[in-house]
Parts: sequence; structure tokens; C-alpha cells
Amino acid sequence: MNKHLKSRMTMLVLVGWMLSTAGSAMAEEFVVGVEVPLSGSLARVGTGMSEGITVAAEVFNRKNTKHKIKLITVDDESSPAKAVAAVEKLASQGAIAIDGGYGSNNIGPASDAANKAGLVYVTSGGVDEALTQRGLKTFFRINNTAGYSKAMLGLLADMGVKSASIVYLTKEATADLAKDIEKALAAKGVKVTMHAFDPAITDFKPIINKIKLQDKPDVIVMSGYENDYVGVLRAAKVLKPDVKAIVGAWSLATSKMQDDFPDLMPNVYGTALLPFPAEFTTPDGKDFAEAYKKLYGKEPDYLGQFGYVQSQLLFDAIVRAFDAGTLKSGGIAAELRKTNKDTLIGRVQFDDKGDNLNFSHRMGQHQAKQIAIVWPKEYANGKMNFPGVPW
Amino acid sequence: MTELVSQALWSGILTGSSYALIALGLALIFGTMNVINLAHGELVLLAAYIAYTCESAFGFNPLFAIPAAIVIVCVATTLTYFLVNQIRKDRELNSLLLTYGIGVMLTNGMLLLWKADIRSTKSAWLQDAVVFGPFFSMRSEILFFVISLALIAGLWWWLTRTWAGRAVRAVASNRDAAKLMGIDPHRVELVSFLVAGLLAAFAGAAIFSVGVIQPGLGISLTVKAFIITVLAGMGSVPGVLVGALLLGLTESLTTTFFSSALQELAGMVLFLFVLFVLPNGLFGTRWRRAH
Repeated sequence: MNKHLKSRMTMLVLVGWMLSTAGSAMAEEFVVGVEVPLSGSLARVGTGMSEGITVAAEVFNRKNTKHKIKLITVDDESSPAKAVAAVEKLASQGAIAIDGGYGSNNIGPASDAANKAGLVYVTSGGVDEALTQRGLKTFFRINNTAGYSKAMLGLLADMGVKSASIVYLTKEATADLAKDIEKALAAKGVKVTMHAFDPAITDFKPIINKIKLQDKPDVIVMSGYENDYVGVLRAAKVLKPDVKAIVGAWSLATSKMQDDFPDLMPNVYGTALLPFPAEFTTPDGKDFAEAYKKLYGKEPDYLGQFGYVQSQLLFDAIVRAFDAGTLKSGGIAAELRKTNKDTLIGRVQFDDKGDNLNFSHRMGQHQAKQIAIVWPKEYANGKMNFPGVPW
Repeated sequence: MTELVSQALWSGILTGSSYALIALGLALIFGTMNVINLAHGELVLLAAYIAYTCESAFGFNPLFAIPAAIVIVCVATTLTYFLVNQIRKDRELNSLLLTYGIGVMLTNGMLLLWKADIRSTKSAWLQDAVVFGPFFSMRSEILFFVISLALIAGLWWWLTRTWAGRAVRAVASNRDAAKLMGIDPHRVELVSFLVAGLLAAFAGAAIFSVGVIQPGLGISLTVKAFIITVLAGMGSVPGVLVGALLLGLTESLTTTFFSSALQELAGMVLFLFVLFVLPNGLFGTRWRRAH
């Protein structure tokens, strides 16, 4: 081998080595699979989450000149079997992580499928305790039942409630939340009566009449979804039980409910991350709100916020794993586990089961066509109208 | 206790009457053609969304949206009929698949057009409380209770007192014999579909005024209508009213004395019990022959 050839080969080896080690410094497009219900019974919430995920990718791609996120979305049609098929399809299309999922019954099997494919699964759509009890090292969620019940219990404690009737939907997440609240209130000596209802119910008057004539509570607590709240509030408006407040959970203290059901909402409480009109004070919040309005031409809602935060944390973890050269060896999960970041929903840190250690919701009240945050004090921008009901 | 029971009975009657309105169209087509229109719930829902559009875009009271809903839903039922009529073999069975498919297409069409958000009337007038002694209800419930009774009476009168109605019954009873009597079964079946569309339009306006709608609701409306139709006895109009009221009362009393979580179960127990005792339904063929 002559000297000239030797030097050429050395150059080639050097270039090859440089290319192989310079991976972390090169631009890369990361494919993230989005599995959400865009049709079926969960289409509304799934669409809301999907909007937040899209906004997160848009903000990431705009701010990040080095890497890009490419989203591939598959509709799971609100069905557990199709959620599994969606995850498998996304894995086969080269997704390096799964973002999305709504409904604990869909998220359970879908995240199992992701785990089998070695993919991280990040969500804000399922609060069932069982999801984090499976020992999956690839599962992460940014919200949980404890955060919702903490906020509702905090508000009820501030009201000095002595008795409560809890009206709850017999689905896993809503029933879990209702039972958590019942247990905590009973432990404080509050008299609690439980009223379970089936998803097929159309007339809530028999339940509200029992509350009015038999329970006679200080407050009615609702754990359900938008259509249930509308049914309960309409029945309550007809029967006018002598209560001091009506408190609900998710999807209630929203601008949409205010717009669509203005006669039912006055003085009603619900979990809310932000007041309405929304006040985004942090740079991240302003980025989110601006991109959201630009893409969808409307005010951001809580579903979009959750979708945005879960995706933002996932994208950050992907980049960190890529930079560390561990992207394909479980690095995304390891990086997510190291997360300790202030986000639009507060500080997020994951425990070893993938649950957000710090999640605590806030309580909002519909007041004069606006939503005021009334609990906890550090986030409050208004005082609660108590006692106060929609009629 | 009296107040509790009286309100439960009143709520059961009002709910039952709205069930009857939803089930009437399905029962009519089932009775005349032996076709279970699995898209019926979606057609009712389509009418509800037309009422929503008329209210949100033009500010109309949902009641005034009924004529527009009748036109659009009747066009949809006519198309459904022409598709069903294309089936050459095993019409009873194949129409199940066809109408189920139409239902899925309608659901997704509504999802695309009106999004997945829940919708309900904003009319304060319809939502106002109406109180008669111990009976509490919304104005919309009373209104559609009356409309429901009027439509049931009208349908019964049409089926028993008019030539077209008798032709429908003749085709339902014996298609070949009806043909020999000079009745065109295709025309009669088309008329049945059109009347079912008209009834679905009223039912849609009712569910939008009384409750909450979203694109996935159609299938549960079909299931409820199917239960009532079978409970009633095939194609029986008085049976639909009695079956729907029984179902409404059972659900309401179960909620009042036990738990709302058991109301669907109670409805199913009633359904199975009636079929066990009267396999042809409450007003089935044997009852009608005897009367």
C-alpha cells in the first residue's frame, strides 16, 4: 500500500468517524405518532387534545432551527381495539413515541401496545389510578384524579360545606373522582349522599328531586361530562333545590359552556387552569395562545393546554435523548423521568410510575359571562360568589 | 314521599312520550317492510342538527325549524328507501347491513359538518319551568308531549281511516295479496319511509329542545327505538305509545327508588319480561287479530 493510498484511507476513516459522532449536532426530523379519538363518543375531547399537540409541534418547529417534529395522526375512533391498532400502525410508520390518547379504557390497551413496541406513551386524557399501577416504564401522564379532587375539596373546605350530594357518571374516571371526594369529605365529618347515573340517562329530574326532598344538602357536586352537566343543571333549574352552590369537575368552567349555555352557567364552579378571558403572562403561554389563535381562530381551551404541555415535554425529552445518543435505547423515557419544568399547568415532575407528582387543578366560577379563578388563593383573580346558583 | 312519587311518574310519562316519538318512524317501517332501519336514530339526529342550525344561524325557535327538517330528512329517507329497494336477496338481513352503513356515514357526515361539540337549544322560552302542583317540567317537555300524542293519534287515524294508510297495512299484512288488489307496494313503502322521515323530523326537534345532542347519539336513539318497537309488537302504533310509556316510567321509578345506574338494566328486564310473557310484544299480531 503506497503512502498516498494510506493517507486517503485515513481521511475516509476520519470522515466516517466524524459523521458517526456528529449525529447529535445534525438536524433531524423526529416522527411522533398521535393516537387520538377524532370520531366516536370522544371526538370532541380528542379533537381538543389534537389541537394542543399540533400547536406544540408548530411552536417547536418555529423556534427550533436544528430539529423538526413531524406528526402522524391516527384516529382511534374512541375504541380500545382501534386505539391498539392505531399505535401498532404508528410504530410501523416509524414513530419514535406516542402522544395522545383519551379515555382510560382506550389509553390502557393503547399504552400497553406502545410499551410492547418499545415506545413512550404520553397523555393527559386518562385519570384512572389503574393506569399508573401497571409498572410500565414507558407510560407518562401529566394529570390525575388526585389533582382534580384536591382542587374540588379545597373549594368545598373554603365554603365550609356541612353536607353534599354527589351526582356522578358510572364511568371509571368520573366514579373514581366521586368516590375520592366522598371519602375525603366523610373523613372531615361532612354528610355525603351519592347518586350514580348511567350514561344513557336523559332526564335528571328524578335524581334532583331526591336531592331536593330527601338529601337537602349545602352543595351539589357533579362528576361527569358536558352533556351530563347540562342535564343536571337544567333539572336543577326546573326543580330549584335549596342549595348554596353547584360544583363540577372537568369541561365545565370553560368559555364554550358559557357561550353555549349562558342561562345555566351563572355561579357554577368547575376545574379550570385559566380564567376567561384567558390571561397568559409567561412567554411560553403567550407563544401557545398566539399559535393556537393563528391555527384555529379561537381562544385556547383546557384540552388544548393539556395537549400542548404533554407534547412540549415529550418533544424536549426527544431532543435531549437525541443529543445524548440514547434515542433508540430507551432514552426518551429516561429523559422524561428527569423532567422538572414549569409549564402552563404548573410544575411537572414524573414519579417512577409516570404520574405527575405536582398536579393540582384550580377552581373557576362562572361570573358575569366570565370565568374567575377562585381557588387556590395564589392563583385566584376573583372572589367566589357564595352562596350562588344559576337560578 | 307523595311528591317524590308524583314527580317520578310525571317525569316517566314525559320521557316515555319522547321515546314514543323517536320510535314511531322505526316501528312504521318495521311494520310495513320488515326492515329494521338502523339509520333511524341518525335521521332523528340529522333533524336535531337542522334545528340547531336554524337556531344558531338564523335565530329561529327550534319549532320553526321543523318544516326544513321535514324536507331534508324526507330526502334522506327517500334515498335510504331507494337503496334498500335495490336489495334483491334476503332484504330483511341485508337491509340491516345497508342501513347500519348509512347510519355510520350520516354520523361521520354530521361530525364533519357540525363538529363533535354538544349542542342544545338556547331558547329560554323552551327551557322555562312549568309547574302544575307537584309536577315540575320544562315547557319544551310539555310541548313535545302534546305533539307526540297528536302525532300518534294522527298516525293511527291515517293507518286505519285513510286509503293510503289501509294500503300500508295491506302491504304489511300480505304484499302479494295487496298487489292483486291493485296496490303498488313500492309506492306504499316509499310513503312509509316519507312518513317515517316526517316523524323523525319532529323527534329531532324534540331531542334538541329537551336534551343535548352530539354526533354519536344516533345509535343509542336507534337502540331505544328498537326496544320500544319490539316491546310494542311489530308495527303497532298504540303499542309504541304503551311500550314507550312503560319504559319511561320503569326508568324514572328505578331512578327514584333505587339508582339511576340501574335504569338501563330495569328497562332491559322489562323488555325481557314482556317478551317472555308475550313473545309477540304488548300489541303483537295475536292481540291485533283478537281485536
